[in-house]
Formats: sequence, C-alpha cells, structure tokens
Amino acid sequence: MASVAQPAATVERLEQIWAERPGVLGWLTTTDHKRIGLLYLFTSLVFFAAGGVEALLIRTQLLQPDNNVLSPAAFNQVMTMHGVTMIFLFVIPISTGAFGNYLIPLMIGARDMAFPRLNALSFWLFAGSGIFMYTGLALGNGPNAGWFDYVPLASRQFSPGQGIDFYALGLIFNSVSTTAAAINFIVTIFKLRAPGMSINRMPLFAFAFLAVSFALVFALPALTTDLVFLELDRRLGFHFFDPSHGGDVLLWQHLFWLFGHPEVYIIILPAFGIATSIIPTFTRRRMVAFPMVALAEILVVFIGFGVWVHHMFASGLSNAVLIWFAAASLMVVIPSAIQIFAWLTTMVSGRPRFHTPLLWIVGFIVFFILGGLSGIMFAAVPFDQQLTDTYFVVAHFHFIIFGAAVFPLLGGLYYWFPKVTGRMYHEGYGKLSFWLAFVGTAVTFFPMHIVGLFGMPRRVYTYPSGLGWQGYNLVESIGAYILAAGLLLVVANLAVSLFRGAPASANPFGGATLEWSTSSPPPEFNYAVIPRVTSAYPMWDEEDRREDARALARGERVLERGHETPASTVLDADWDEVLDMPSNSPWPVTLALATSAGFAFLIGGHLTAVAVCVAVVVAALVAWHWKEPQEA
Amino acid sequence: MSEVTRSMEATSAVSAGYADRRRRAAPNGWWGMALLIATEATLFGCLIATYFYLAFQNRQWPPRGVPDPKVALPLILTAVLVASTVPMLRAVRSARLADVARARLWVLLALLLQGAYFGVQVHEYLGDLDKFSPSATSYGSIYFTLLGIHHAHVAVGLLLDLYLLAKLLGGLTNYRLVALRVVAFYWCFVAVAGVCVVLTQIYPSL
Repeated sequence: MASVAQPAATVERLEQIWAERPGVLGWLTTTDHKRIGLLYLFTSLVFFAAGGVEALLIRTQLLQPDNNVLSPAAFNQVMTMHGVTMIFLFVIPISTGAFGNYLIPLMIGARDMAFPRLNALSFWLFAGSGIFMYTGLALGNGPNAGWFDYVPLASRQFSPGQGIDFYALGLIFNSVSTTAAAINFIVTIFKLRAPGMSINRMPLFAFAFLAVSFALVFALPALTTDLVFLELDRRLGFHFFDPSHGGDVLLWQHLFWLFGHPEVYIIILPAFGIATSIIPTFTRRRMVAFPMVALAEILVVFIGFGVWVHHMFASGLSNAVLIWFAAASLMVVIPSAIQIFAWLTTMVSGRPRFHTPLLWIVGFIVFFILGGLSGIMFAAVPFDQQLTDTYFVVAHFHFIIFGAAVFPLLGGLYYWFPKVTGRMYHEGYGKLSFWLAFVGTAVTFFPMHIVGLFGMPRRVYTYPSGLGWQGYNLVESIGAYILAAGLLLVVANLAVSLFRGAPASANPFGGATLEWSTSSPPPEFNYAVIPRVTSAYPMWDEEDRREDARALARGERVLERGHETPASTVLDADWDEVLDMPSNSPWPVTLALATSAGFAFLIGGHLTAVAVCVAVVVAALVAWHWKEPQEA
Repeated sequence: MSEVTRSMEATSAVSAGYADRRRRAAPNGWWGMALLIATEATLFGCLIATYFYLAFQNRQWPPRGVPDPKVALPLILTAVLVASTVPMLRAVRSARLADVARARLWVLLALLLQGAYFGVQVHEYLGDLDKFSPSATSYGSIYFTLLGIHHAHVAVGLLLDLYLLAKLLGGLTNYRLVALRVVAFYWCFVAVAGVCVVLTQIYPSL
C-alpha cells in the first residue's frame, strides 16, 4: 500500500474500483447493498400501496350495512391479499430488506454485506414471489382463505381453485428469500463490524436486526413445512390434514403459529431498532439502560417461540396446555416494558426536540402501549375465548402491527431521507403527515375494540343493520381515509423533497451512529477509511473521527486493492483479515427468474418445464461460484 | 495494518493454508453454512415433530395393511453415511496441510460411500412406494415426505462433492479451502440428521 497517498487520489481510486455499472443493466446485476436496499424500498412501497388500496376497499365495503362494493368472493381475496401483502411483501421486506440492507453495513462500518450476491438473490426472489401471488389475484384466483390459511377451508375439497396454490407456492419461495437475507444479516453483523466495535458497542439497531434475523432463521422452516404439507395434500392427495385418513386439522395451526407468533416480533423488532436510533439523536443523550434494552430485544424473540398456542385458545386444547401458554404469553410483557421504560426515561431525562422523526416514535410508543395492553388481556384464557375472532382482535393487532410497527418505519423514512438522498424533507408537511396518520390510526382502529365487544366477527364481508355496529363502522372507514391522506402526504413530501429539498450535510441531526460520518448520499464504498470505534456512539467521539481523517491522509486503513472490506472477530471485533468482495453479477437475477418461472410452471402442472427451470438453477449456481473473487 | 491477511490473495495451496492458520475467527462461509444448517435442522425438527404428532393421534401406527418398517438395513445404511464424514474431515486436514492430491482422494472416497448410500436408499424408497402409498394414509404421507426430504439433502451434498472435486483439480486457493471446510460441515449435519431420521423411521418396529 502506498505509504504517503493523497486523500483525494485515494478517494478517486476507490471511486474507480467501486464504480457501479450504469443503466438498467447496472441495477439488474448490482450487488451494492445501498442499491439493493433502494430496490427493496421501492418494491415494498409498491406492495404497500397495493395493500393500502385493499384496506380502503375493505373499509369502503364495510362503510354501511348490506353494502355491495365487493362481492363476497372478491372480499375474501382482497382481505387475504391485504394481510399477505402487508406482512410478507411490505413490512418484512421494507424493514429487513430496505432499512437493514441500506443501514446495517453503514452503521457497522463495513463496505458491503457479507454475501453481496446472495443479497441480490434475496431481493429478486422477493420481487418474484410478490409478482407471483399478485398474478393469482389478477387472474381472479387470488388466495382467499385468510393470511393464516386454515385447513380444512384451504384444502382442495373446500377451495378447489388455484388461489391457495398461489399462496402456498408464493410463500415457499418468499421464505427462501427471507431466510437468505436473515443469514446474510447475521454473518454481516458478526463478522464485518469495524475494528473496535465489540459486541457491547454495537448500535441497538444492529441488536434488533440480529434478533430479527435469528427469529427468521428458526421460525420460517415451520411455515415452509406447513406449506409443503398443504401443497402435497392439495396436489398429490396426501393426508396430513385430513382426519378421515389419520391426518389432523390442528397440525396446520400448530405449525403455522409456531412460525406466526415469532413473526409478530419479527415485524415489531425493526421498529424497536429504529426507535432506539431516533430517540438518542433527538433527545441529545445516550439510551438509558443500553445493555438491558439489548438483552430485552433478544429476550422478546426467545420468549416469542414459546407462546404460539395463544392463537389457539379456542381450538379445544387441554387446560394444562392453555395455562402454560397463557403464562408464557404474560412473560413477554417484561422485556417489552423494559424497552418502553427505557425509551420514556431517555426522552424525559434528555432534551427532546420534537422533529418529525421523533413524533413518529412518540406515536409508536402510544400505540405500542395501547396495543400491548389489549394484548395482555388476551393472555387471560376466558377473555380470549370470548373475544377471539371478533373485531377486538383486529383492533389489537392493527395497533401493534400498524401503529407500533409501521410508524417507526415512516419515522425512519424521514430520519434517513437526508442520508440517502442528500436533501432535507419539509418539516412542516412532515409534522402534518404525522398528525393525519396518528389521528387516522386512532379513529380507524380504536372503535374496532368497541364493535368487537359488541360481537362483530372478523372477516365478514358485510353485516345487517340494527346491531349497533353501523356508526362505529362509519367512523372507522372515515378514519381509514384520513390515514390514507396522511400516508399520501408522507410520499408527496419525500417525493417533492427529492428534487426541491434543501441540501443536507453529512450529519444534519447530530446522529450518533457511523452512517452519519460519511457523506450524504454515501459513496459506493461507504468509507474511504475504515473507521475505528471506541463506543456505541461513535459520532459523539469527535477525537476518533479526527483520527480517521488523519489515517486517510496517511493512507492507512484504506483498502484500495479491490472490492475490499475488513473482517473482524465475532465478539471483540479485532481486525482479522481483509476480504475481497464480489462485484456485480448476472447470476442472482437469472437464478431468481428461473425459480419464479419454475414455480409458475408448477402451478400449471407443466413438469417438463419445471425440470428445465431446475436445470437452469443448478447451472446458474455453478456459474455463480465458478469464478473466484480474486479472479474477477 | 501490514499484519492483517488479505486471504483472497491466497491462490496457492501453501498460502491458502497460511491464511487459514492466521485467521482467528471462522470465515464468513463457515458462518453462512452454520446458519443454513440451523434453519435446515429446524425443518427436520418440524418434520420429525409432525411424525410423532400424527403417530400419537392414531391408534394404529403404521395403519392396517402397511408393513412395519425394516430395522437392520436402514441402520446399516445410516452407519455408512456417518462413516462417510471421516474421509470428508480427512480431506479438510490434508488440504490445510497443502496436500491437494490427497484431499482430492479423500473427497472421492467420501463421494463413493455417499453415492452408494444414496443409490441403495433410492432403491428402498421406490420399493416402499410399491408396498404402500403416500396418498392412502397420513402414515404414508409423513413417511415418504420425511425420507424424501432427507434424500434430497443427500443429493444436494453429492452435487457439492462433484463441484468440489472439479474445483480441486485446478489446485487449492483460500476460496476452495473454505468451500471444502463448509461442505464437510454440511455432510456432518446430513449425517446427524440421517441418524434422527432413521430413528424416527424405525420407531414403529422398536
């Protein structure tokens, strides 16, 4: 390495090495975590729009009694796709795919993810699975048995169309995509942290993503198993779920919720991570009880694997089982409360500046507490048995997975917008969009508690008048339109700011984590000099950052021989070796295309074509690995 | 700074072994495989749990008309599968000592054992399909699904062996040494999963 390199010359050299291929081909073959993050962001926002339109259709249909905006069959498809879209095609991809991809390498001082091509594959598979399921809907064969897809309703006998097949096959390869992404995050966080960022100095955001990724690795196989069983039952006449041939209906529910409950924490944990990033920045102080919060994030996931039966309290299991799972469900309150008190104490003891991002976090805390309180109620078995499958449940989980899980994502969009685009958003419209969404969420979902207590069941496509549900449903629908206006304002604000916003500095909010140390937007190589870290708030250690600048001037820690990034030891983050990362590759997108085509042919029953697709997949995998990094 | 290894630049057998010894943490590829194994092990856990869940739901297991599973042959086969991890691990050791020729031979020996295992297992599987159907009872459904998924894992491992052998013909690099370690790790997992699967398979005859 040149011992006396000029910083400008070094940076220029890095720019040449890391330059991305221009044009559409560049986007198709990219392995840059920031570009993949943006692809994830735009794709998941498109699906969010689709899921939002479905929500508005549902609310319009339920606006008044005996309405017929949607036929019963269409309502079932729209309701199912609303759930599937929001969970599998919006919240998980936007939180892990977009926020995680873009920010985790930046926050830990790495130049890319541990497996850049696998990262590209995750994205293309996710896009393929979303298009696959929406193809079903477009053909009038959308999934229609609810996002939990219970048998026997979902069995071939009662759902003879292809809707359920689109659901099952689509989710199987969606799971492959998500598992690959989760493994990638864990290895990235374990191995690519900047020198000095030992595990106790890792941002809480990274802790949250570590916990989420582990949850995905261990939860998704249960769903995959369940979906494979379902497809074998439907297509080949197997009998996993058919009691007349020794199968069992509840087997579906056990496996589904063994995945499905950890899934709830998978949805909410990225929100915790974003909250713990935004709160210290805008309250000008370090997080209270940092180690407790880190442990609580992991504990939530751990306990989350032992509570799945609370979704099945009304399914006739023995009391001993119910009591066990009721107790386990109550335990989740402990790590959740630790975090709530830590956030509140940080805010109260700091000097909060209520800019737009922090407002969304305050809204998040409000809805998380409200939804959490109704959640505790469900741990009481008799209460659950009384209210299961009513709108009370819908109210509870929308406060949690919309109010609590999505608000921080929107706050995060505002918070990192200057970093990603190099421009500031509009503060006034930002606040207005928050208040619209906050009021909209409360007005939409709060009355659902009441109609639920009045006995209105979930999933009904309409209801008769004279039951006292009318007024509440009208209010809920109006709330949904207010909420939609708030969300549109978020998009409009960011879209206009992209072109008109004031230029943003590298660290406009005084954020504490490493992503704020590089320019806005970051260069392809993230950091000209690999940062060295001595605390969990590296941007507040000014002397360290000055030392980085001096290291750049001396040409140290620059790594400019190729796509290089440091790898460190797992716990202490001692610098262990230098890795040469692969650059753009055509194979991930090819592989994803062949996989999607294979699943499409599987739906049509063209087995020869499926075999051809499998051969293409194997060939693409060989081509992918044949050229080694040092030969590139 | 200068003491940090640029492991990707290790393109000879000797320098690959050196990079391997200098490394303090397990390489990224090893971690990737460890996590893949974690998720695949969970998959087998779900399948085996389903087997016993269904077994306890049914009075007669296996149901009438279905023969009790064989015991001796599956156990012997599994012993072969477990034994095949020894040459895989020996291959890793040889490669670390920069002995590429010997590493290739060990991988080839493992491949022969694993291939023989796979061949007999597929033969047995097809024979079972003649005796009872996966679409007649839940016993058949879980029996053939569990064994089928296990055999699919063996088939993937065989493809990985072939890929490794092809790459090792061109000598050893850091990248290939990590690949060899990772594939050996995968086979250890398949062997452990095989033991769990075979114990489940023969359970009704015990």
